[in-house]
Amino acid sequence: MSTQDNRDKNQGDKNQVETTGHVWDENLQEYNNPLPRWWLWGFYATVVFALVYWLIYPAWPIGDTFTKGFATITYEVDGEERTTHWNTRALLARDMQTGEYAVRQREMLEQVAAQDYETILADADSMSFVNAYAQGSFGTWCAACHQVGGAGVIGQYPNLRNDHWKWGGTVDQIEQTIREGRLGYMPGYRNTLSSDQLNEVAAYVLALNDYDVDADMADAGERIFTGMEGGCFQCHGEEGQGLASQGAPNLTNNLWGLIDVPGAESDSERLRLVSNFIRDGIQREMPGFADRLSDDEIKMLTAYVHSLGGGQ
Amino acid sequence: MSQAATTAGSVPASSVASTEQYNYAIVKRFAIAAVLWGVFGMAAGVWIASQLAFPFLNFDIAQITFGRFRPVHTTAVIFGFGGNALFATSYYVVQRTCQTRLYSDSLSSFTFYGWNLALILGVITYMMGITQGREYAEFNWQIDIIILVVWVAYFWIYLQTLLRRNQPHIYVANWFFMSFILATALLHIFNNLEVPVGIFHSHSYPLFSGVQDAMRQWWYGHNAVGFFLTAAFLGMMYYFVPKQAGRPIYSYKLSIIHFWALVFLYMWVGAHHLHWTALPDWVSTLAATFSILLLLPSWGGMINGIMTLSGAWDKLRTDPIMLFLITALSFYGMSTFEGPMMSLKSVNALSHYTDWTVGHVHSGALGWVAMITFGSLYHLIPRLWGVNLYSLKLVYVHFFLATIGIVLYITAMWVAGIGQGLMLRAFDQYGNLAYTFTESVVFLHRPYVVRAIGGGFFLAGMLIMAWNIAMTVRMGIKSEAREREEARAAEARTA
Repeated sequence: MSTQDNRDKNQGDKNQVETTGHVWDENLQEYNNPLPRWWLWGFYATVVFALVYWLIYPAWPIGDTFTKGFATITYEVDGEERTTHWNTRALLARDMQTGEYAVRQREMLEQVAAQDYETILADADSMSFVNAYAQGSFGTWCAACHQVGGAGVIGQYPNLRNDHWKWGGTVDQIEQTIREGRLGYMPGYRNTLSSDQLNEVAAYVLALNDYDVDADMADAGERIFTGMEGGCFQCHGEEGQGLASQGAPNLTNNLWGLIDVPGAESDSERLRLVSNFIRDGIQREMPGFADRLSDDEIKMLTAYVHSLGGGQ
Repeated sequence: MSQAATTAGSVPASSVASTEQYNYAIVKRFAIAAVLWGVFGMAAGVWIASQLAFPFLNFDIAQITFGRFRPVHTTAVIFGFGGNALFATSYYVVQRTCQTRLYSDSLSSFTFYGWNLALILGVITYMMGITQGREYAEFNWQIDIIILVVWVAYFWIYLQTLLRRNQPHIYVANWFFMSFILATALLHIFNNLEVPVGIFHSHSYPLFSGVQDAMRQWWYGHNAVGFFLTAAFLGMMYYFVPKQAGRPIYSYKLSIIHFWALVFLYMWVGAHHLHWTALPDWVSTLAATFSILLLLPSWGGMINGIMTLSGAWDKLRTDPIMLFLITALSFYGMSTFEGPMMSLKSVNALSHYTDWTVGHVHSGALGWVAMITFGSLYHLIPRLWGVNLYSLKLVYVHFFLATIGIVLYITAMWVAGIGQGLMLRAFDQYGNLAYTFTESVVFLHRPYVVRAIGGGFFLAGMLIMAWNIAMTVRMGIKSEAREREEARAAEARTA
């Protein structure tokens, strides 16, 4: 059946209405069908919806005020009950005062605020709340560097999940870190030590972590480490045990945040990594959060971070 | 089938003669520009969508990072692809329906070069990091002025052509085009009132600040959707659907009523982009209720388009161009239902700041704007060059690629947006937020991958269209050359 036949048939039986009689561009015409009933009634329904909406909520401006609508919200202002027309500010205020979640959270916040660290860490209920709350704060403020979960990035941001605390792992030390931030600094030794000497110190540091190294090199390295030539002991300690007040890490626990020593492919690669690190040194900064977070938030973050890596 | 296929792609014999009567050269230029901008803009879209799924793809090159390339994408598709297609179709429609040549060849040529110059400058400056930071109005103030001059010329050409018409009545498509031109001028001027830092300085300060400025921006932003991406493309629809179907428009009465309702109501709804902000509550209410009131007037255009085909539904089996046009109207109906729902404050509380918004925009932009444009260009281009379309089969392929692409895109963004909205408002048993923002970003990865794939499908369809049209135009140029040759030979014989 050709298209032309179709068209004729349909014009014959389906569309009884006339066209408007206008013709454009050879064959453009318009029927004048009435508005579809469902369309018209649908439109009226939306008008009714709008009218009802306007009666309930603030809607039309009149001069410098507006129609308030019949809906009201009751909430508290300075201990006094106040009823006002529906508005988003009052809605928020009421939600924060009497909303189920806000009330529950406030109770828990008050409970934790009243406890000291020792009690919080021992109280399963408080700790469960602190973990849930601080996970959010950590995600907002800390995870950009320390990553979600706190595993950090080797070479850049400290891992908070291991038992390795450069600046100390007691709650007081962790709180100080969060409050005031930290400036981590180790000078580079490129102008102080020769490359042989750098390798010797590196061998000694590896020996401290039970790696197989040339014993003579390690001995020479120990002399530089503990003597005035390298002076490493002044921060890292005579035994390489570290010094929290300087952010100087323990060098004996085989936990490495800045270079991937355990992952190195060969002994010589391992030696090179450590030697180059001593040559270049490092400077890092963590900002302080005392101005950005409330005391309670810092308290909860402290307890959370403490629990992440098994604090001291 | 073969006969029907010829019907779908065939061209009236009068079109060669029409070249003398009408200014087709300008329509051709805009139509080709639309296709080129479409390829570029959609490729840019797929690129930034892939970056969201796999951030390393920005390769640390500032000029192509998401932040700078996103306005490149929106500008290229809205103003490049959509804008050039609107110039092309409106210049074609106004000439055909007024039965008169377009007013001033030189001025219309100026609109072509001016418009595309502004867009190219826009793309370059965005990549350099120069932007006003106003969504869909990122052009800096110097480019704003170029656009303004072009737009006034466009308005003048259109008005003068209408005044010179050889038809007693103005066809409905022209009402929509005219309202789009007027409203866009109003929007462009008011949203770009600003004080430049200096003549040779790209930066400027907006005349308003705070919530007034936000309202101004979204009054512009939503009416860019309402007039640029809706009213104007309805103008396109009102010409190309009845032309392609070979049937009269369903209802003149409906077209009048939904036209006036649409242009009156759209102006009020922009503030629904700012629910639950510093916006006064009464403004939010008016924006939400006027959005609901807008639902049926929007659907008026869909009904008029789809019902025009009533009684000739068999064309959908034989005519892929009709498939594009009718699918476009279906997506138009769907997204103009979704929009009013999302403008309700309670739904908006979930959907705002999520990818649901992005999905909604694209169901309109890909489903409605791009599909109606594809259909119209497939109808238009063979007629401009007086040849049949190179391949109707490729039009089918394009149609299915585009449709699969849209469906993947929209469903991925529904999943992403609703999931994200629910995660951001979830509480645990202690009243804490259950998820961090970062966790919601992790969740988005998979929908983002699907979205990029959907965009890839859509882009593949666009590339096939560009090929099909390039081959059609080549055929057209060859046959024109042959005709000239024959005419010269005939002349030589008579001499």
